[in-house]
Amino acid sequence: MTKSYVGALQRVAGRLGFAICALVLMAVAPSPGWAQGARAVETMSVGDEPGRISTEEVAITEGPFARQLVLFRSNEAPGTLVVHTSERFLYVVMGNNRALRYGIGVGREGFQWSGLVRISRKAEWPDWTPPPEMISRQPYLPRFMAGGPGNPMGARAMYLGGTIYRIHGTNQPETIGHAVSSGCFRLANGDVIDLYTRVPVGTKVVIRHAASV
Amino acid sequence: MPVAPRLTRRITSNAPCAALCAGVGLLLAGCASTTSSPTPTAVSARPSNIPVTKLVGRWGVASYREEKDRQRTEAQARSHCRQPYVIAKGPTDGVMMHVADDPKPYELTLKGGSDGKTYLGFEAPPGDPQDREIVSFNDNLMVMRWVSPDVNTRYGTFVYVRCK
Repeated sequence: MTKSYVGALQRVAGRLGFAICALVLMAVAPSPGWAQGARAVETMSVGDEPGRISTEEVAITEGPFARQLVLFRSNEAPGTLVVHTSERFLYVVMGNNRALRYGIGVGREGFQWSGLVRISRKAEWPDWTPPPEMISRQPYLPRFMAGGPGNPMGARAMYLGGTIYRIHGTNQPETIGHAVSSGCFRLANGDVIDLYTRVPVGTKVVIRHAASV
Repeated sequence: MPVAPRLTRRITSNAPCAALCAGVGLLLAGCASTTSSPTPTAVSARPSNIPVTKLVGRWGVASYREEKDRQRTEAQARSHCRQPYVIAKGPTDGVMMHVADDPKPYELTLKGGSDGKTYLGFEAPPGDPQDREIVSFNDNLMVMRWVSPDVNTRYGTFVYVRCK
């Protein structure tokens, strides 16, 4: 991804202004040259529903986006996370050509990226800071919402290196399988909790924008 | 902002309808399915111990659900004075604020309940589902929670820190 493209993404994101992750993670400085992904301001879709409840028990149980063991040929070491944004899948490499696969929601067009990062931090029921534009639309919202079941960040978060992106839960499980965010990867709360228990800080994460054979 | 101090206003999360109702001064009593039927105000409210003018000003606002988060939520509220919630004096004896899930401001008033608690809301009986309960109050910090358990679960307890 070229710098000009990254800059364009930043400008687009800036104009859109739905900068949730950026606002939440203002203290997180990007690490240039590590991840190849766009340094676009992380956003959530306009359709975020702060205050909507999704409990820890909510998981995808049917269809291709249900958590399941699958055949997965990869040279990555067991324990590595591989994200295929085009497929809307996240894999935990298990070895022996197998992986545990989760359905995810990914960045909408223009907000998808690829790169190599590591889990730098983990948090249970992460806090959420609505972006100013959302406050303008929904002025009754608090300017900061401590973690909880009504929080759009969901039950768990795993921070991706020094980027503004993360793998997190959601209070909108119906968005799994769709391109809805602006770069973060979201799982249903029950699934992100399961993943959270399997992934220590330091875990390698490979994000592929196009499906690989 | 039209005010109907002698009427009870019951709105729902149907914001456009609620806004319309507010905008025409409640003349549209049959605002479709939102049950905004004016009824005489019950007289069970007692004067509040808190002067409503004490609420006027610029506040940093944050919310929490668990007591363990309260202290840091206060700190977050304070830090969000850069994006304050502004409470203005209303046209009559209330203050202009929002209720949950509705972007329109309304004139709300403080009400003393027979349970000894203080509520903020429309001129409905104290403890109405659209009210907030004032959990604690001083000149620089107030804590409110929604009377509606559903709303309280969704948005948590609100901390307001007065901006200097």
